[in-house]
Amino acid sequence: MTAAAFKPSAEAAPRSGARLLVSTLERLGVEVVFGYPGGAIMPVYDALAGSKLKHILVRHEQGAAFSADAYARKSGKVGVCMATSGPGATNLITGIANAMMDSVPMVCITGNVAQGLMGTDAFQEIDILGVTLPIVKHSILVRSAAEVPAAIEEAFHIARSGRPGPVLVDLPKDVQFETTADDHGFSIPNDAPRVDHDAIAAAEAAIRAAKKPLVYIGGGVKIGGATEAVRAFVDATGIPQVSTLNALGTIPTDAHGMLGMLGMHGTRAANHAVQDSDLLIVVGARFDDRATGKLAEFAPNARIVHFDIDASEVGKLRSANVAVVGELREGVEALTQRMRAGAALDIQDWADDCVRSAKDGAHRYDAPGEGVYAPALLKEISEAAGDDFVAACDVGQHQMWAAMHCRFAKPEAHITSGGLGAMGFGLPAGIGAKLADPSATVVTIAGDGGFMMNIQELATLKRYGIPLKIVLIDNSSLGLVRQWQELFFAENYSEIDLSDNPDFVKVAEAFGVEAFRIDRRDQVSDGIQRLLAADGPCLAHVVIDPRDNVWPLVPPGKNNAEMMEGS
Amino acid sequence: MSDTIHIQIDRADGSLQRLIGLVERRGFHIDGMNMADEGPFRRIALTVRGRDAARCLDNLGRQIDRLFGVRRLPDEAMRSEAA
Repeated sequence: MTAAAFKPSAEAAPRSGARLLVSTLERLGVEVVFGYPGGAIMPVYDALAGSKLKHILVRHEQGAAFSADAYARKSGKVGVCMATSGPGATNLITGIANAMMDSVPMVCITGNVAQGLMGTDAFQEIDILGVTLPIVKHSILVRSAAEVPAAIEEAFHIARSGRPGPVLVDLPKDVQFETTADDHGFSIPNDAPRVDHDAIAAAEAAIRAAKKPLVYIGGGVKIGGATEAVRAFVDATGIPQVSTLNALGTIPTDAHGMLGMLGMHGTRAANHAVQDSDLLIVVGARFDDRATGKLAEFAPNARIVHFDIDASEVGKLRSANVAVVGELREGVEALTQRMRAGAALDIQDWADDCVRSAKDGAHRYDAPGEGVYAPALLKEISEAAGDDFVAACDVGQHQMWAAMHCRFAKPEAHITSGGLGAMGFGLPAGIGAKLADPSATVVTIAGDGGFMMNIQELATLKRYGIPLKIVLIDNSSLGLVRQWQELFFAENYSEIDLSDNPDFVKVAEAFGVEAFRIDRRDQVSDGIQRLLAADGPCLAHVVIDPRDNVWPLVPPGKNNAEMMEGS
Repeated sequence: MSDTIHIQIDRADGSLQRLIGLVERRGFHIDGMNMADEGPFRRIALTVRGRDAARCLDNLGRQIDRLFGVRRLPDEAMRSEAA
């Protein structure tokens, strides 16, 4: 059918709410939907059969939400997941929260019991709209079939506009069955705040007055399509930069002037530059506590110029001397234009000091021993995969090692659960990212703890033949918790031992996924080649020493200058 | 010290819960609430008090502005109405 056939028309043949949902998704250009059927969403699944939508049947609804999230991050489109009422809907929750915390555009469609049964504790009835209120950008309970197209269009608009986020659409079963010839369109409002050019002028003045300016780049830059704008600003001014976890790759991680990640597991150069700086130009970042350390002592000498699309982030944790609220690309481009029109900045000594500090503090990869050194392995695989490398990380030590040691050429190359820190993200995220961009070399980097949380998605990999590569870094423990117990809880190791893990190679093979083991350092290079050359999905089970820690580290509650360095 | 915020919300599923939940989650006690029916809308006066000194009413206002189907009403309009 052509797009014109779906134009809202009062004379159209009657269609069910479920069919209207599917046709609206098609009209919005949705190609992939991640989901899992059940009683209260059966009319939608009935309408899905024969549609243009590719439905990916996951093995747990949390996998659907995480895959949709990563699909959105990699494609720049809205991710879509669906589930039935009750347990199906509640299983989406961690994924919805993840998308909220990292500002990912996602539409989550849940079935619900028929409206007459709502509020009666019916079978599989949950007030999912109420349950998810604090973790959605918006939510809509659709009360009639005629409202379905407008509700879906509004959900998509809200999910992707301004600061993106997840939108829940709850469809009672009677609405899915109800037929109507009527459907209301949704008129898309143009509600983006315009950039205030007086504020841009004030930002320029602040930068020209500064002796030690620094750009603090956040995940909002990629989301706002401002990557090129920020790169141009940095080129034009020569101001050194630090990056948050979610912004790695916005400036290529090996670029001159990129000092690395700031914060708890940041680089020494980045953290010291922030503490020394007299002006932070904060672009699409939100002063997260993992980035700032002890907030009261964060960047104590710095004035703040804060660019964000979300006015509620400005002044939330650190007051801004200059606030530029609006589209990041427009704001940064306007600033760059002004900077280019004026004299070059006189900051060469400061910029040189920063770069020298980054070079002097560069990580060494020559740790003694025969065992696998995870930082070196992760660096090597990212370099071997080149500019097409995309890491879909789980949460834990391996996530921090990936952030610190992988080379990222662009921000879409690093997909990680930053704000929520949700273990179990890595495998379904890898699936979503690979489906969003089949040409990319997508590598899931997981630990043994997180991998077990969504290990069932190996079946999804096999079912659709998705050639995802998995590096499973196994220290047979909950490594980051173990590290904190060692350092901050007097080595009182409590409930972190996972040495009874299954044989992951056998598990993967049982799912029909090729797998092999890497135990020693001299197997690493061949193993990486084998993994990257595999035609289908492939898992490398990498065994490391449980005592390996992530260094450096800013202890909790300390300021970012107080970094600990291990042996 | 408490302050009163005047808000108009759409009469949509969950809208009241969404507003009140946000105010409490962002660190404010709700000391009083008045609600009036305005056809498709509800007009609400919320008397709020920060849980600690770090809670800033301006920040809360900007958080409320992020909600959909919710509009803060200018204080002046409310004052002239009351007069």
